[in-house]
Amino acid sequence: MTRSRITLLALAIAALVVAPLGQGNYIIYTLCSWLVFSIAAMGLNLTLGYAGQVSLAQAGFMGIGAYITALMTLNGVHWSLAAFISIVSSFAVGLALGYPALRVQHHFLAFVTLAFNTLLFLVLRNEEEITGGSFGLVGMPRPSFFGISTDGNLPFYYFSLVCFLLSTGVLWWILRSPWGRAFKALRENPIRAESLGLKIRRQTLLAFAIGSAFGGLAGAMQTPLVQFIEPGSFALIHSLKILLMVVVGGSGFFFGPMLGAAVVILLPELLRFTEGYYLIIYAALVIVLMVYSPNGLIGLGQKLLEKVRPKHEARHDLKQGVSL
Amino acid sequence: MINKLVYATALVTTLAAAPAMAELKVGSIVELSGPGAAAGTNFRDGVKMGFEEINDAGGVLNEQIAVTEYDSQTDPQVSRAMVQKAIDDGVYAIMGTVFSSSTVVNMLVARQAGIPQFTGSEAPSITSMNNPYIFRTAFGSQKGVPKMAKYMADEMKVKKVAIVWANTEFGKGGHTSFLKEAENHGFEIVADIPTEQAQSDFSADIVKLKGAQADAAFVYVTEEESARFLREARKQGVTIPLVGETTLIGHKVIELAGEAANGAMGHVGLTPDANIPAMTEMVEKFKAKFNYTPDHNAIKGYTAAYALKCVTEMVGEPDSQAIAEKMHGLTLKAADCPGVLMDVSWDETGEMSRESFFVQVENGKQVVKAVLPPN
Repeated sequence: MTRSRITLLALAIAALVVAPLGQGNYIIYTLCSWLVFSIAAMGLNLTLGYAGQVSLAQAGFMGIGAYITALMTLNGVHWSLAAFISIVSSFAVGLALGYPALRVQHHFLAFVTLAFNTLLFLVLRNEEEITGGSFGLVGMPRPSFFGISTDGNLPFYYFSLVCFLLSTGVLWWILRSPWGRAFKALRENPIRAESLGLKIRRQTLLAFAIGSAFGGLAGAMQTPLVQFIEPGSFALIHSLKILLMVVVGGSGFFFGPMLGAAVVILLPELLRFTEGYYLIIYAALVIVLMVYSPNGLIGLGQKLLEKVRPKHEARHDLKQGVSL
Repeated sequence: MINKLVYATALVTTLAAAPAMAELKVGSIVELSGPGAAAGTNFRDGVKMGFEEINDAGGVLNEQIAVTEYDSQTDPQVSRAMVQKAIDDGVYAIMGTVFSSSTVVNMLVARQAGIPQFTGSEAPSITSMNNPYIFRTAFGSQKGVPKMAKYMADEMKVKKVAIVWANTEFGKGGHTSFLKEAENHGFEIVADIPTEQAQSDFSADIVKLKGAQADAAFVYVTEEESARFLREARKQGVTIPLVGETTLIGHKVIELAGEAANGAMGHVGLTPDANIPAMTEMVEKFKAKFNYTPDHNAIKGYTAAYALKCVTEMVGEPDSQAIAEKMHGLTLKAADCPGVLMDVSWDETGEMSRESFFVQVENGKQVVKAVLPPN
């Protein structure tokens, strides 16, 4: 990592720390939502952007995390333990689902995960005794750490920020570990990767399960954030929303999902002044973006940068080739 | 020079401060997109028209009301953001939301801030949470269903009933209270058919219903699904009476289902076709303004605007806390506060009671068959 990158990163973290100061509750809450969805989208980015597998169940994994955390914290268990169990469970469910599902790839995997998400929604809704059914669960407490309560919106923001930075760090570490290299090798050329001795199925499964665990953490944070969960919050449409975040931001780019989450959460707000037309405009913008730059906003940025940046000019005297 | 600067600063401050002083802010948080858009838009327009009339007549306590609209997108997470935003903007009361999952979330936030909230939701759970800042604009479904079941037993002489319900918080509320009433009146439940929100094909459900040989069917699904259900029922030639709540025979449903809505009947808390002059007048004004027939949600929004006006004037100042306290156990008579259209009272939990109607759809219009007393 170069020095300028470290400076940029430090500036970005400083900006995140300062961002909510002096802002109203609404802005702080929206920033918290953004952090939570960024974590979920980062997980999906690992599955989709790095390992190249389309998953439509990320909201389902958030649901698993959210319900486990809600049920445990409502019964007096501390959030950190509940969140840990949520992450582990999502990882385990990811493995269990991925093991048979990853026999199929790409859009077939999308179908399997789609079915899983729908199934999970039905289970959450119909198992009323445990999950509260369509009435949902309400009044989950926000955690306190070392005597500091996160009931207020500002402390909760910093709590989310810490979780966010931790998971960003973990993801960064994973991507630089041999696993991360293997994930990328799989995406670029699975046959070559296999010929180099990588076990394709084991690696994809791992990427899928780790991605799901990130979903579990995001769910565990959503519970104390909204303090109300219902099956509808984890339905298929939300999986598609997270997928949109990854794709709009730029799948396969480290910062893509964070940018995508910001766009998906904030753009409807910015377009509110157009009243009834904002969904149409929003959809049209996404279509134009996808046509022009399938690599999302970060890809678009790179494309534009390349146009502006002076190109490497070939030496004219070498045009003919070097002659001795 | 310094003097000039001081004057200029003073002038600018006064100008900037003046509008803020002369306005009372109210937030209208409703479903303007997503599955709740049909109901939310009605509620929003009702609120809008109510406050415009109030402003034209001189406002509340001689101050104009500024209504800001927020879209919950029928998503509780977004709805919570919107209620935070409204409170940040300094509203002294909140109108909405109509869907109960959003209302439940908004209640938590509004309670922390001590802001009274006038909800359009009818789910029973809302008033059982000991929240002193929530007030209904239509009584909960736990009150409507007993009235209707009594009418079915006494007037329609029904014995065997089939139930068709939406498997959502809304639908389950109705389903549970109907089962309880069915026991009280000795109905035999011959079919129990759950359906999905946003379900588009009801043919299998109708086949089940036809096979059940019921005297009547209780249909408890939301507006758009009701319309599809009624169309399918007509297509398959269902002849038994289809009885429901407002959601089966609302104007939106009649508009969407067309001829298929004729014959459907049910209990409504508020109907534009009730024989109440104030209501008829409101409906005419609404039609002229928005070019569509308002449903009960629009009337809820309209009456909520006036209820807030009257209570604020009774309290004498736009004090959120005092207004919430005053509302508990209050009865507003239409004679004293004409905008509420019918006499209305709230109890200690924010639950409300009001007269209601049993209506049947005839030629695309609701016709009142009976007036049911408040309970």
